[in-house]
Amino acid sequence: MAVITLYYRYLERLTGADRDVIISRLPMLGSDIERLEDDHCDVEFFPNRPDLFSVEGVARALRGFLGIETGLPEYRVNPSGIRFTVDPGLASIRPFLGSAVIRGVSFDEEAIQSIMALQEALHWAVGRGRSKVAIGIHDLNQVTPPFHYIASERTRRFVPLDYREDLSMEEILGEHPKGRMFSHIVQDFPRFPLIVDDLGRVLSFPPIINGELTRVTPDTRNMLLDTTGTDERAVRTAVNIICTAMAEAGAVIESVEIEGVRWPDLSPIIRYVQTAECNKLLGTALTPDEIAGLLRKMRYGAAPAGDGTIRVEVPCYRSDIMHDWDLFEDVAIAYGYQNFAVGISPTFAIGKPHPVNVIGNLVRHVMTGFGFIEVIPFTLSSEQVQFSHMQRPVRKDVLRVMHPITEDHTLVRSDLLPLLLEICQVNRHRELPQRIFCVGDVVRGTITSQKTAWVSIHPAADFTEAYAHADALCRELSLSFSVRESDDPAFIDGRRGDVLVKGERMGVFGEIHPAVLAAFELEHSVAAMELDLKALPGYPVSPGTP
Amino acid sequence: MDLTLNEKRLLGVLAPPGSADPASLAKQLSVPLEAVIQYAYLLQDRGLATVKRTVEKHYTLTDEGVRYAREGLPERQLLDSFGSSIPMADLTRHPLAKIGIGQMRKKGWITIRGGVVEKTGTSEPGDDEAALKDPSNEKKGTSDLLRRGLLEESEEVSYHISLTPEGKGVCERGIDTREETGTLTRDQIISGNWEHLRLRKYHIGTLPRRVYPGKIHPYQRLIEEMRGILLEMGFTEIYGEIVQSSFWNFDALFQPQDHPAREMQDTFHLNERAGLPPGFEKVRDMHLHGGTTSSSGWGGKWSEDKAAQCVLRTHSTSLSIRHLAEHPDPPQKAFCISRVYRREAIDPTHLPEFEQLEGVVMDEGVHFCHLLGYLKEFYTRMGFTGVRFRPGYFPYTEPSVEPEVYVPALGWVEMGGAGIFREEVTAPLGIRHPVLAWGLGVSRIAMLRLGLQDLRLLYRSDIDWVRDTPSLLPGPGTEGD
Repeated sequence: MAVITLYYRYLERLTGADRDVIISRLPMLGSDIERLEDDHCDVEFFPNRPDLFSVEGVARALRGFLGIETGLPEYRVNPSGIRFTVDPGLASIRPFLGSAVIRGVSFDEEAIQSIMALQEALHWAVGRGRSKVAIGIHDLNQVTPPFHYIASERTRRFVPLDYREDLSMEEILGEHPKGRMFSHIVQDFPRFPLIVDDLGRVLSFPPIINGELTRVTPDTRNMLLDTTGTDERAVRTAVNIICTAMAEAGAVIESVEIEGVRWPDLSPIIRYVQTAECNKLLGTALTPDEIAGLLRKMRYGAAPAGDGTIRVEVPCYRSDIMHDWDLFEDVAIAYGYQNFAVGISPTFAIGKPHPVNVIGNLVRHVMTGFGFIEVIPFTLSSEQVQFSHMQRPVRKDVLRVMHPITEDHTLVRSDLLPLLLEICQVNRHRELPQRIFCVGDVVRGTITSQKTAWVSIHPAADFTEAYAHADALCRELSLSFSVRESDDPAFIDGRRGDVLVKGERMGVFGEIHPAVLAAFELEHSVAAMELDLKALPGYPVSPGTP
Repeated sequence: MDLTLNEKRLLGVLAPPGSADPASLAKQLSVPLEAVIQYAYLLQDRGLATVKRTVEKHYTLTDEGVRYAREGLPERQLLDSFGSSIPMADLTRHPLAKIGIGQMRKKGWITIRGGVVEKTGTSEPGDDEAALKDPSNEKKGTSDLLRRGLLEESEEVSYHISLTPEGKGVCERGIDTREETGTLTRDQIISGNWEHLRLRKYHIGTLPRRVYPGKIHPYQRLIEEMRGILLEMGFTEIYGEIVQSSFWNFDALFQPQDHPAREMQDTFHLNERAGLPPGFEKVRDMHLHGGTTSSSGWGGKWSEDKAAQCVLRTHSTSLSIRHLAEHPDPPQKAFCISRVYRREAIDPTHLPEFEQLEGVVMDEGVHFCHLLGYLKEFYTRMGFTGVRFRPGYFPYTEPSVEPEVYVPALGWVEMGGAGIFREEVTAPLGIRHPVLAWGLGVSRIAMLRLGLQDLRLLYRSDIDWVRDTPSLLPGPGTEGD
């Protein structure tokens, strides 16, 4: 999530409202205030609104939301006369380039930090960690146009940012901190993307690192923006957000001609939406004028265009507007979520529990009737707990996760009994007897189904207790079953039984093997049972939705 | 007043004399002396008798003391062994010199000058010698002798028991001293003999050993409460697979294939691949360009292989969307409370698996006000009286909302996410009416209701915690503002 630091003084000046008003209204615009400090606050904005990742962008939205300045913000773009060429060899590497010239900036350190923060947030939210989009900002006065975006030899040398001596691009990937962090994006290409000026001096090795030559300092007055990527729409979004934020800060935006196309284009996109559709979605009775007014509060240009149609100008920085409903959500936000007349719909339907849970709850009734306490173990488990502690062979159809976080959670449980013994282990200093059970999902292959298991640990626990309770549970659940001697190695030979249903082994019970007890650090005998609930009458054949 | 049989019997023998020594009472009752004293104290607690406890000290000479009593203290014997003076060297040859010389000097009987010991002339018998002569009771010199180990002290405790006026009154009103019966036997019950028995009365102030009932886990009980609410509200419960294809977990919900939540840092990926359902192309087209709707789609690329990769479901919305795809006709009201998985390291407030409460309403004409209405109804029934809504963001809903409830100790607490499924989600699956949907945190409600600071306790149960958590959980008792 993107957390943006907003300094009150700058925010108040750009917004034209005081901090108390801003802080009280900001959450209702769609944000979480993470921290309030004396001179700033840290606010988390949603990833679909990268236009709010800068103080300038937040102030622009707030001015509308608070009714200080509504409607479409207009941005003029004058031609700079600067051209950019793009090497066709980049088509298979990193084909898209966007650019702009930003003049008349006067940066203090704080403002430089702010634009760097915007750049980083865009790298994350729009650029997907620079793979989709990477942004470079340069001191224009250090270099000579026209500029060239080329596919370069990997051995070409230049001085990267924060270095004094030149390195080859391959060395940068191996040595420079940014190189190591982002090398995976380009390392497999035969040539690397590079931006140079007309004299062949390097501005940037996108998406890795800028050159030291064009470092932005407090003395920088004119900047060149380069934005490269693999997705043209994302490149456009990043360029538009940066340019309009800079314009809000007082800079003048000038266009750059890239292979005959003028960048940036900061004009709005036109959409036509229907009043009826908006009211139908929101449950409101707004007029076209009211909807247009609410949209203008959200900084759209909007006006009724007859027959309930509303013409909407979507600002160039609102990349999240993909569908008419996106606009209707902004109508709802401007209207205020607190102002809706809430009430449930008249939709008639009769409630119905799922049979799997009906069965699960019956098992709970029977087991608590026996005096057992329910526990709810994790479904993630390990080979050690599920199999080796139990002296059981690893099931062939066990489901393993690809990137476990801990060695305790490497697979999804196929049996519940081991997890109950693990809970006994955690509770081995608690008063005996302990009689616990659980009901829950297990996975075999990729198929989910439910089992139940119970254990009873105390000095007199034995096969008779296991058999008597196993028999009682099966009787209570109307299970037609027979038993035979089991060969389950988790139990003591001669003190174990299989529950057979229609000739198939659906459960096991008995006295736990002392070696298994030792593996779980248990010091008393344990009577136990596990039963597959698929055996029960009424368990749905297809475990999915009914 | 409920006197025990023992207390009554003591009163019975104590009444005629009014006061007595325990020994004689013990003899009459044929019980040990200690028992009489114990009963007497119980009577004293009830104000029926007083127990006077007397401690007497006795002194007896040690073996050494007996010898000196016969022969005199060492210093006395030593003093008597020479005339008015004696050279030190000669005196030290006396067997009692070691103890005697020091004591003689201390008592001022001698002075030592130039290696010669001279008597001072004062050698009256002291208190210690008087005590040695008659050691039995404590006198001035007793402590000296105790210190020198010549005397031993012992205590003798004696009791005297007397009836109080209240006790006398109880005795005058008459005491029933028939035998008491503990356990009623079958014979006594069916013969009717119980009528003649005195059934022992138990002390209500004494708690018996605790028993623990079998019980449903407190968290499961809360889940049942929530299930009950949704069933009452007319929702059908759904249940489904833990393992889902990325297609159902993400793509069908219009989550772009390069969305950060799909990466291995956040999601448990599996080696398994699942087949894509018939008609998956419509979902693909929606991602690529918005299909047949007014949407622009995400653009970029869409990989079938990426959609086929299986994951542990990251939200139960994968179950609702499958349910709706299989039941596209209105009305539908469905819910489930099920385990979902996120690749998070375990700490007190984060777990790799937890429960989510999922609900959907699909019907002609349902809208945003209804969505807020269902959420408010649910939380109100759960006992949260303050409910508010804030804008939210989820890739598959528009508008989106984050419900919050008011908890006095914490303020507004975020409870999950909700919204109306985007047309990009519903259109490819043939769902033609709006779908109100929510995914709410269940464990967060559990933390509030059970007063938990650490979520891990729900899943790695401390048996004592389950034993001690009552089945009836009071509501949150919140007030909105």
